Amino acid sequence: MDRTLKALSLALSYPTPELQRAMPEIAAALAADSRLTAAARRALRPLMQALAQEDIYALQETYVALFDRTRTLSLNLFEHVHGESRARGGAMVSLLETYRAGGFEPVTAELPDHLPVLLEFLSLRPAAEAREILADAAHILKALQTRLERRESPWAAAFAALVELSGARVAPDALAELLEQPETDPDDLKALDAVWEEAEVRFGPDPNAGCPASREMLARMATDPAAPEKPRALGAAR
Amino acid sequence: MSHLLDRLNFLEPKAVETFADGHGQVTRESRDWEDTYRNRWRHDKIVRSTHGVNCTGSCSWKIYVKSGIVTWETQQTDYPRTRPDLPNHEPRGCARGASYSWYLYSANRVKHPLVRGRLMKTWRRLRETKSPIEAWTAIQEDPLLRADYVKARGKGGFVRASWDEATEIVAAANAYTVRRYGPDRIFGFSPIPAMSMISYAAGSRYLSLLGGVCMSFYDWYCDLPPSSPMTWGEQTDVPESADWYNAGYLILWGSNVPQTRTPDAHFYTEARYRGAKSAVICPDYSEAAKFGDVWLNVKQGTDAALGMAFGHVILREFHLDRQAEYFEEYCRRFTDMPMLVRLDRRDGRLTPGRFLRAADIDGALGQTNNPEWKTLVWDRLSGGLAAPNGSIGFRWGEKGAWNLEEQADGKPIEPVMSFILDEDRDDVAGVDFPYFGGAATEFFATGDKRPDVLTRNVPVKRVRLADGEEALVATVFDLLCANYGLDRGLGGEWVAASYDEDVPGTPAWAEKITGVPADKIIHVAREFASNAEKTRGKSMVIIGAAMNHWYHMDMNYRAVINMLAMCGCVGQSGGGWAHYVGQEKLRPQTGWLPVAFALDWGRPPRQMNSTSAFYAHTDQWRYETVRADELLSPTAPEGDWNASLIDFNIRAERMGWLPSAPQLRTNPLEVGRAAREAGKTAAEYVAEKLSSGELEMSCEDPDAPENWPRNLFVWRSNLLGSSGKGHEYFLRHLLGADHSVLGAETANRPVEARWREKAPEGKLDLLVCIDFRMSTTAVYADIVLPTASWYEKNDLNTSDMHPFIHPLQAAVDPAYESRSDWEIFKSIARKFQQVAPEILGKETDVVAVPLLHDTPAELAQDEVRDWKKGECPLIPGKTAPNFVAVERDYGAVYDRFVALGPLLDKLGNGGKGIGWKTEEEVEALRALNGEWETGPAAGRPRIETDIDACEAVLMLAPETNGHVAVKAWAALSENTGRDHTHLARPKEEEKIRFRDIAAQPRKIISSPTWSGLESEHVCYNAGYTNVHELIPWRTLTGRQQLYQDHLWMRAFGEGFVSYRPPVDLKTVTDAVREAGDALVLNFITPHQKWGIHSTYSDNLLMLTLNRGGPVIWISETDARKAGIADNDWVELYNANGALTARAVVSQRIREGTTFMYHAQEKIVNTPGSQRTGRRGGIHNSVTRAVPKPTHMIGGYAQQSWGFNYYGTVGANRDEFVVVRRMDKVDWLDRPIGSKEAAQ
Repeated sequence: MDRTLKALSLALSYPTPELQRAMPEIAAALAADSRLTAAARRALRPLMQALAQEDIYALQETYVALFDRTRTLSLNLFEHVHGESRARGGAMVSLLETYRAGGFEPVTAELPDHLPVLLEFLSLRPAAEAREILADAAHILKALQTRLERRESPWAAAFAALVELSGARVAPDALAELLEQPETDPDDLKALDAVWEEAEVRFGPDPNAGCPASREMLARMATDPAAPEKPRALGAAR
Repeated sequence: MSHLLDRLNFLEPKAVETFADGHGQVTRESRDWEDTYRNRWRHDKIVRSTHGVNCTGSCSWKIYVKSGIVTWETQQTDYPRTRPDLPNHEPRGCARGASYSWYLYSANRVKHPLVRGRLMKTWRRLRETKSPIEAWTAIQEDPLLRADYVKARGKGGFVRASWDEATEIVAAANAYTVRRYGPDRIFGFSPIPAMSMISYAAGSRYLSLLGGVCMSFYDWYCDLPPSSPMTWGEQTDVPESADWYNAGYLILWGSNVPQTRTPDAHFYTEARYRGAKSAVICPDYSEAAKFGDVWLNVKQGTDAALGMAFGHVILREFHLDRQAEYFEEYCRRFTDMPMLVRLDRRDGRLTPGRFLRAADIDGALGQTNNPEWKTLVWDRLSGGLAAPNGSIGFRWGEKGAWNLEEQADGKPIEPVMSFILDEDRDDVAGVDFPYFGGAATEFFATGDKRPDVLTRNVPVKRVRLADGEEALVATVFDLLCANYGLDRGLGGEWVAASYDEDVPGTPAWAEKITGVPADKIIHVAREFASNAEKTRGKSMVIIGAAMNHWYHMDMNYRAVINMLAMCGCVGQSGGGWAHYVGQEKLRPQTGWLPVAFALDWGRPPRQMNSTSAFYAHTDQWRYETVRADELLSPTAPEGDWNASLIDFNIRAERMGWLPSAPQLRTNPLEVGRAAREAGKTAAEYVAEKLSSGELEMSCEDPDAPENWPRNLFVWRSNLLGSSGKGHEYFLRHLLGADHSVLGAETANRPVEARWREKAPEGKLDLLVCIDFRMSTTAVYADIVLPTASWYEKNDLNTSDMHPFIHPLQAAVDPAYESRSDWEIFKSIARKFQQVAPEILGKETDVVAVPLLHDTPAELAQDEVRDWKKGECPLIPGKTAPNFVAVERDYGAVYDRFVALGPLLDKLGNGGKGIGWKTEEEVEALRALNGEWETGPAAGRPRIETDIDACEAVLMLAPETNGHVAVKAWAALSENTGRDHTHLARPKEEEKIRFRDIAAQPRKIISSPTWSGLESEHVCYNAGYTNVHELIPWRTLTGRQQLYQDHLWMRAFGEGFVSYRPPVDLKTVTDAVREAGDALVLNFITPHQKWGIHSTYSDNLLMLTLNRGGPVIWISETDARKAGIADNDWVELYNANGALTARAVVSQRIREGTTFMYHAQEKIVNTPGSQRTGRRGGIHNSVTRAVPKPTHMIGGYAQQSWGFNYYGTVGANRDEFVVVRRMDKVDWLDRPIGSKEAAQ
């Protein structure tokens, strides 16, 4: 078993007293892995310390607020890929089949795309395969890292470590697209308003040309880095 | 031929060869793309379910499941066919429903039981050394520990809990509350049982076994039209949408069918293809407006004036200048128009008084049973007074004459409709009618300077009364014509012979008020009536909440209902009143009631009208701006009318008109014990102690800590994010959370309610929200329990829009740690049974029961007398609520929950005033579900699973069990003296099971619970059995009642319909309004296109189709005035609070108005308000509930209370708000405590 991936799976799970008791062992496993740079290992220390020592209620409240309640920090990876789209059900099915093909049956109440579930699975797979799958998700992991860094959350380091382990270079476009989803910065709104501004509708002379307003809007969405505004959750505002 | 010419240089043919005579070809291209489609449709199973949000759609959907995951849904198309010449029900479904499946795995899903962290920490610490009860007691009795989590409501800080732990806290809180304050301090709010009736029943069954309070929704949502029980004695009964197809003329009045009734809209389209004409009446250019042959853009809130003018034209042309034979006969037989009304004389002036009754006449016309409840007509055949069959006096205490045959005392009669002919009348008298048109506020004013009393001439007869006095009487018809301002050649003022005269009631008058041109009014009225005359009533009005949400909604609605009655439309196929709001139609109701309110174990249940309860407990009464004298009629009889609105409610509770919760200041378990020790019945004991003042009713002191609701369950509901009128008052007083109330408390002190100088904040000890999404309510709860969604549980769903009974089914197991509502309340009940015995055992609970409709108590008070003022003795069940002892077994709550109790065998089942024995059905359930072998419920049938519960409902209900239907009709036949069993005989052997409806939606069986029939010959239409089977309406007169004679109705000027301008709520005051804010608009909250009904408004797919968050709509003119451009952030505020949204600037909207679609969540995309410095609220942040005294009337035939049936309603459309652009958008993205608190 890849104890590093397993350790990160645990560090991203809901904090419990049991987890707190196991933190020295978990921290040690991470500190010993030479695949991680010294800087990454150093960066993990505050998280290890927090998980080991902080008041369990404070940890749990923070965890729920961050990962259960904040859409942009969801640990369900397909939330970031498919959102509410119809493809999400299918994607989950194929992930589930991957687990089964690998010889495992999920026995959790969590969905297959829950990151700790995936990490546990990957910890049991050959290193190359694990790396490849992580690399596929690297832009999401990087985005979550960035968002958590903005919030000065120690959990950011866990994502940084995962990105490092994946060995992937995150494509800036893919990352930018995810990060454009507004989080805490109200300054984005002007840009967003501009995207949503509608042009006056004029019909004709070509009746088949369609609605100019939507055409223009779509064009601007395609080129403008500011994606259409995604609704924010109350949790994101805390 | 050149080789080069034949050879292709740049292209290669796709086809390698052909076969099948050239119809098939072999190609080289890759066919991988086909896998997309193969996979797209690859699934393990398809399950039928539907969307139980609050939708009347009840549309059949196929849910596709692959590897235990819901992948998508599509519309089912296997409804049973309709008969020839009637379109089928399909297609049903809409974009909202089609976007539902993605909720299942949405990030907004509640995944685990959540408990507020501070509460959890304290709980676990205390639980180390204490029992659950001791731990909860310790928290509640330490003000600091309690405040620690109460003050954190709405501020995040949840931690996960195990089910065991979460249910233990809930159970301990419930048990503590029962012991410390009484079970009636545990409240539960859940709306619309029809949408998922077992999920509703789960909570209400648990609460009822404890003696907790189930709160109503239909009246609170203001979807209940009180005009319906007033006129018909019926909650609401309407045609199914297929019956629109049978109509010849359709008026859509304040109803936006294509937008909010999407799956049914096709019948409207098909009706128009068939040739039906349609008029659409709404203030905005709505989606429906474009479907009308004519669009009448009435000014909002003035619909009653338009309806009066329609009525004026119909009366003039079809009843007076010419008597349409069909209308005349219909009105004589099926309305109160021939009934006689006494004219009361005061200071030499006459006003319409009570209906003349048999008891008023010497010898009571031979009526010995209930003569004071038998109304009279003038019979042309005998040339004298007669008490015709069917009035409510015949309903109770005797059998066989409660019917609509034109008979009195077994002899045929011919009631006289009018005394207009010289030979019929004794005199012509001037009668006073109140006129409210001159009292309009600025926005609605027309410069009307008419007096507030209009005297009109009416033909009258003299009648000698039992006391020897002579009384003047007039028919309702003659009074109605005077009320509509029709000149009948009797001279006098305030009547018109021409439509052009500006006299109240005429089209010319209505044009000034409503803005609708008089010629269009005349045109539509004429067409509507003329179609009805030719088709015998096939003119229909489809009507929406838009008109019912006004304070004077009864005037709007009664103006419409009167039109329909005048034209003989009600009870006729393709005609009548089609009010589709609030999804009230729980078709298998009488099968469901025993399961839902645990009537199988103890009766009566505790039920409460939510409007009055929330008005009192959220302290909205302390901010009341409307005084009774602003509502009172200038013609009001003498009386003590100078009181606050809450005072009227308290009087109503005291007299047994409305229910109370809590009921008595003393714990009802203590009352039960004391009564037993005193050797008295509960009723005797409470009557004595209330009279002496030793016991007090809770309603008189709502702010006393003993009278607070302590625990509140909210399930299947978003009380705080959607329906909670006066949202900010909920936050402030009930929850003790941060709030944005801007206004001050009222200076008018109530006379009946005790005023405490400081209003309490944070009355609730515990708020439990059961939901599958983190709704606005969940955000404020102390405990959030994750529930199953529509594709994860088994349940039943019915609608008023179609006659099918439809299942919800568990296509997959509940995701994450969620459980179905049925399982959740079972686990709470199990926990309760474990923890409660420490302080609770077998107890006697004393339940206060108001004077209920459809029981003999509806004949309790033909006169208004208040025992507290010494006007009469306190007689429980007669002059006050009844007080009934109910035995509780708190150590067997779970065992009782999962078993069908013995009272069904002993007392039988029934509803709406009829009862039948049901041992056979109980026996059949025992065979079907099995029975408990041991324990407190040994020998009783099991209702352990949600499917067991469904089977119990289906087995017991006449609508789904033909045998029960026959029994029910037979029971009704005894009352009416007419055989109705032929209506169900053909289906006697039909018994619908859960697996049947899983296979295909099934049509219900006709039952006397409802006034329509479902058959091979007619579509379901309300009032059909009244007209065709001669079953009386459940009103005082037994007819459709256009005149309301209760003292309070007359005092508040609503004996007859009239136009009453919207009330002045005075919420935009100088104190609240900031300098420079000039734009003040009328605030309207219609239903939207992107949420509501089949999905919620935090659904990302739907949000993406609109503006991604809360929006308000305003007109271009108003936007210009306030410098608002489309999509600008704006805030709306008044004394009640503030909200923020983006502005949609549209030509659709009328100047002076702003629309905010109902139930947009504040959890999505809602920045802070500049006015309050706190996060913007929801649409109800700028509203406050204002109850109306006429809705409090009780113990008076159809004006008797029933749960979700009658009572005060939460109107909210008379509201005005300041609208301004926000120049600074602040998302309040800061932790609490840093400078400004977020939230």
